[in-house]
Amino acid sequence: MAQSSALAQHPAPLPRLFSRGALALILAIYTLYTLGPFLWLATMSVRTTAEISADHYAWPRPFHWEQFRSAWVDSDFATYFWNSTLVVVGAVAVVTLIGAAAAHALARYRFRGNRLIYGILFSSIIFPPQITLISLYQILVDYNLYNSLLGLSLVYVSLQLPLTVYLLEGFFARIPQDLFDAAKMDGYGDLEIFWRIVLPVGMPAIATTLILNFIQLWNEFLFAVVLITDPEKRTLPIGIRAFMGDHFQDIGMIATGVMISVIPVIIAYVFFSEKLIRGMTAGAIK
Amino acid sequence: MPEAIALNVKTSDREASTSARSLADPRRASRVVLAIFLAPALLVYCGLTAYPAFRTIFDSFFTIEGIEATFVGLANYRELISDETFWIAVRNTLIWSFVAPVLDVATGLLLALALYAGVPFARFLRVAWFTPVLLSYVVVAILWMWIFNYDWGILNAMLRAVGLDGLASSWLGDPHLALASVIVTHAWKWAGFNMVVCLAAIHSLPREVLEASELDNCGWGEKLRYIIIPMLRPTLLSLYILAFIGKMKIFDLVWIMTQGGPLWATETVSTYVYKRAFNWNTFDLGYPSAIATVWFLVVCASVVILNRLLSTRDRLEY
Repeated sequence: MAQSSALAQHPAPLPRLFSRGALALILAIYTLYTLGPFLWLATMSVRTTAEISADHYAWPRPFHWEQFRSAWVDSDFATYFWNSTLVVVGAVAVVTLIGAAAAHALARYRFRGNRLIYGILFSSIIFPPQITLISLYQILVDYNLYNSLLGLSLVYVSLQLPLTVYLLEGFFARIPQDLFDAAKMDGYGDLEIFWRIVLPVGMPAIATTLILNFIQLWNEFLFAVVLITDPEKRTLPIGIRAFMGDHFQDIGMIATGVMISVIPVIIAYVFFSEKLIRGMTAGAIK
Repeated sequence: MPEAIALNVKTSDREASTSARSLADPRRASRVVLAIFLAPALLVYCGLTAYPAFRTIFDSFFTIEGIEATFVGLANYRELISDETFWIAVRNTLIWSFVAPVLDVATGLLLALALYAGVPFARFLRVAWFTPVLLSYVVVAILWMWIFNYDWGILNAMLRAVGLDGLASSWLGDPHLALASVIVTHAWKWAGFNMVVCLAAIHSLPREVLEASELDNCGWGEKLRYIIIPMLRPTLLSLYILAFIGKMKIFDLVWIMTQGGPLWATETVSTYVYKRAFNWNTFDLGYPSAIATVWFLVVCASVVILNRLLSTRDRLEY
């Protein structure tokens, strides 16, 4: 609110540098540059490959919505979609719960080694993935979790744990101590406090980490491609990549598959854009 | 009987005193409670992050074929020093890590300034410019492989349309152009992220300073140069470091678009590790573990050094 009123007081100072028209043109071109490829993809997803080969840039006419049915049923994208859903929803639920528990303990209680544990949990955020990737492959093979969606979920939990603890610790630390003192007076135990107070009060932050973890894991590629080779177990990103390898020329179907993978992310963004952006940028601004 | 009563009194006394203590200092919790909260996270961390990391470092001193491990000492590291492909990968990754963040952050800052200056449709533009951040690398890679396609990609189509047929190239197939093409693709994906962070930082600048500069009849360019950019310094630096770390790890986009080719032109350390471990049939996990170990140390050291060099006052948090 304050921002828009401030803008009203100081009407756009940029035109002093550029003429209005030139600026508008640059903005339009940049917008086309970011959105154009995406719109191109959307149009191709409802065109058949034959139509695309005839003209790569034509508007879909008619809209071949059956492309989605055929991608879903005939090209195994349904399998990939449900595998992704299972792995990602499971991993996000677990990482949020254990991350929140750890974040609560680190934010609320004083004990020896508090900052050390926080530092250890958080520092792995800078690790290049290869340092764990090769061994995780060996470990999952050892424990019969290679080529298993459960194994991939566990790895995903560990991948998102540092960020989850970091975001939630920051938020939980700002919950007023009075709330906890009052709860103790009322006879709440430590676990009850977490369950009945921290989780509900922390819901905005938890929602942010949920969305952020969901999108990052939904898009994850490297660990999935190493830990899953069975075609039945592929997640969407590696499923699409494999489909592209086998049907390099079938552009229409690739585009449709890609759209299937993008739609959940776009839906999450439409509903939770503020939360998502806050989560993504929380670390970068101080 | 009296003893029992005495005992009861004692225990209730003790209960009273512990609860009194916990009321006095609610920031303390018993070890059991702490363990319940922290154990799952620490277990996941130890089992799936710390142990694999140590194991990779340990493995780097072995040749590992299947389940057979032969101790080879520092042989993998010695081989690494004379491995030309590795050094090409290091060079490419470093070019990427130092150059690309400038592109990312500068674009992000310009976009944020445009939005801050109050262009029309700012809300729509912010969403539109942020969209690529959400797309997975697989999606971005496929899209841009089509855009760069020699025969019908939109880039060549546009060049031909304006009569610059000579500039139409096989963007991802030409060793001189491939790395730049992949870097541009990567910048396309991340500009929106940097924009959002810069915008938030600009909005949190103290309003009085900006207003004072306007009273002093400070031009937009001067305001940018003497006020906005210096005040945004910490944000821009942490964005740069964040982007730098990201680039040191880059894998997905390169792997899908070029697989490190043509002629190692886009090979990065990550793609090379992946190739040696899982793609080439060398059947040895020891050597790639050595590469991963070296790179792990390089990334950690760079983070520490960049932190020291760039942000002396503000500690980096991300």
